[in-house]
Amino acid sequence: MSVLRRLATDRDAGIIVSALLLVLVFSLSSEGFFSAYNLFNVSRTIAFSALVALSQAVVLVVGGMNLSVGAIGGLATITTGYCIQVLGWPGWLAATAALAVGAAAGLLNGLIITRLNINSFITTLATLFVFTGLVNGFSEGYAYTDIPREFTFLGRQKLFGFSNLFWVLALVLALVYYGFQHTVLGRRLLATGGNLQAAQMSGIDTKRMILYSHLLSGVLAALAAVLWVSRMGSAQPATGKDWLITSFSVAIVGGTGLAGGSISALGILMGAIIIVLIKNGLVMLEANVYYEQAFLGSIILLAVVVSRLREIYSARLKK
Amino acid sequence: MLELRSISKRFPGVQALNAVSLSFAPGEIHALVGENGAGKSTLIKIITGVHQPDSGQIFLGDEPVRFRSNGESLARGIGIVNQEIQVVPEASVAENIMLDKLASFSRAGIINWKRLKEKAREAMDRVGLEVDPGEPIGGLSAAQKQQVQIARALSAQARILLLDEPTSSITEHEAERLFVILRELRERGVAIIFVSHKFDEVYAISDRVSVLRDGEHIATRELDGLERNELIEMMIGRQAVADHFSAPDLGQRQEVLRVENLYAPQRADSVSFSLCEGEILGLYGLVGAGRSEVARLLVGVDRAESGSVYIRGQEANIDSMATSLYQYGMGYVSENRKEEGLFLEATIKTNIGLTIWQRIAHRFSRCISSDKERKVAEEMVETLDIRATGVDQVVEDLSGGNQQKVSIAKWLAAGCDILIIDEPTVGVDVGAKAHIHRLIWDLATKENRSILLISSDMPELIRLAQRILIFKDKRIVHEIEDPRRLSYDEVSRQIGRHLN
Repeated sequence: MSVLRRLATDRDAGIIVSALLLVLVFSLSSEGFFSAYNLFNVSRTIAFSALVALSQAVVLVVGGMNLSVGAIGGLATITTGYCIQVLGWPGWLAATAALAVGAAAGLLNGLIITRLNINSFITTLATLFVFTGLVNGFSEGYAYTDIPREFTFLGRQKLFGFSNLFWVLALVLALVYYGFQHTVLGRRLLATGGNLQAAQMSGIDTKRMILYSHLLSGVLAALAAVLWVSRMGSAQPATGKDWLITSFSVAIVGGTGLAGGSISALGILMGAIIIVLIKNGLVMLEANVYYEQAFLGSIILLAVVVSRLREIYSARLKK
Repeated sequence: MLELRSISKRFPGVQALNAVSLSFAPGEIHALVGENGAGKSTLIKIITGVHQPDSGQIFLGDEPVRFRSNGESLARGIGIVNQEIQVVPEASVAENIMLDKLASFSRAGIINWKRLKEKAREAMDRVGLEVDPGEPIGGLSAAQKQQVQIARALSAQARILLLDEPTSSITEHEAERLFVILRELRERGVAIIFVSHKFDEVYAISDRVSVLRDGEHIATRELDGLERNELIEMMIGRQAVADHFSAPDLGQRQEVLRVENLYAPQRADSVSFSLCEGEILGLYGLVGAGRSEVARLLVGVDRAESGSVYIRGQEANIDSMATSLYQYGMGYVSENRKEEGLFLEATIKTNIGLTIWQRIAHRFSRCISSDKERKVAEEMVETLDIRATGVDQVVEDLSGGNQQKVSIAKWLAAGCDILIIDEPTVGVDVGAKAHIHRLIWDLATKENRSILLISSDMPELIRLAQRILIFKDKRIVHEIEDPRRLSYDEVSRQIGRHLN
């Protein structure tokens, strides 16, 4: 009973068990699941999805949202490609430039939201189109394909069986976990999302917190983009078009509260595992891939309903 | 016509209403008065079906009724005009009046606008509202919007009309007009229940008055021949004044806070006072008199237009809560504990730690030591005697009194030596009230902290404060020196004289 109760009330426990169940189902139903190639391949997709989700989650934490994560990813992608192919910059410099572009885009979102007092939905909906237009206009739809081998080291090599991307993610997740638990900035971001008024009345500069969260979101989206270029070996201007649903589904399934105030690094990892395995499962079941978004959308709804039910159940337990 | 029999309602941590029996007659304007937290709004919410009583019955005529929602009470002829004027700003005047009856003006879902406007016009005529029914309501004045609310209630055939502080957002002239409308309605046999903090109004318009205090019904009296001082006394009570704490000798103490001619439109009108080390300075006044407004100006949540604030002799320019807290050591315990004071879903540790993260974080990494945070929180829980299972307990699960202690602890942990405490005992039980009084007293007398105590609870102020400033209409109208030396009657006589 107490185990069941824990599963029903503890957010992380429920997600971890679901993820493990899925892994179990997959390893039993498919012989190739634990094969070296599949492990490598799945681990890098998970890593990439989790990073995209993190760029959404850091904004959800303060009670906002960022619809432009994919467009920022697109900007960072062509920045990387342009710097390497046209300007001939070394990879690390191009990646730094891409992160700077992501930071600038996030900063722009944050400034509009906090200085002009426009809500994050409208602001990032508008910048989604602005950034996408810039990507299309600048690249004219052409991909930068002249990416040197050194640059694909992160995306195409592995360490201890897992993709290098996965280890990058592990590092970022550790930073996120530690940052939100133990640093002044992280705790203040959580407080801002938990109760904006009370945070303000306790001497927290909540506008600055919202600004920082968007800045962070931009950097994380750009990081995901750089890693994507590294994996693909080319910089495609279409990168980011499908990030929106990934970012929300993984973040929400991973237990990031939509109302703000909560985030779980472990939850995001598990959320990514769940979403990626379900996507894989659909392919294995030979489901029509054109329906994929309908499945992902349903999973978002399901996750929201489950978390609502959990709230009601917890409230009832208290009485 | 409407009768409440022994209505009780309990909220977690506080008895909001205790066996209250009242009756309201047709053709009568019945005023309902009481301090903050006396139970007026709970009573109104029970009459209008927003809350359900734990026990007791409501009778409409001879028939017992149960309202499970606002709509149900409106359907039985009970209309309400709220403090915050509730309308749909984009919709037309006529639509707002008929909002709950749109279906009866439509066929197959298509609204017959012509008929709706005609009916709305009739209701508008009854309250003397002379605008085009098709005009969007957003452009109307506050007083006109209120007339829309009354028209809405009348068109629902309301025989009972509740007005919750109807004059708080309209001008004096408009209030006069409202009273004319109310008197007309009285002539037509409507029972009017009128909640107000303004005695002038109560006397100007009501036939009878009922006083609530701490959830109890104190008395119902004819206004004819009722002295104002007697009414004020019934409202503020005279209990619990006996057990004075022994008065400290302030002597020649150092001044820590001086406010000179603080001014901000609608908030403060040339407010000046000073506060000494170890002193408890009481701020008394009715709701909206300007006490919390001054507090919010002092801590920088709102900005003053002119005036100066000196802290420990230095002129202070406080532009945010952060400046107030980190530069001047001045904290504000908000009266809205649940919205502004606490993170209900977070632990005691987080709620107390909030203000010290900055201080205890590592110089370069900005990392917070979990142990240090826990230690400070545990110390606070012990010194303030907060009853909890531990510092990891979620604040939402604590009683009102213990929640209040947590919201005070936050500022103590940060080392604030000037504390503004706003209505510390609203919504807490009598036992917890005594605890909080003891705590505030000790903070001032033993730890030498300076306290601005905002309260609508007169016995509380007499018990704790060395001086009391009386606020009215955003100004300080009177100062009572050492209220303890005076008899209780003398204090309430002085207050009565200055609030009139």
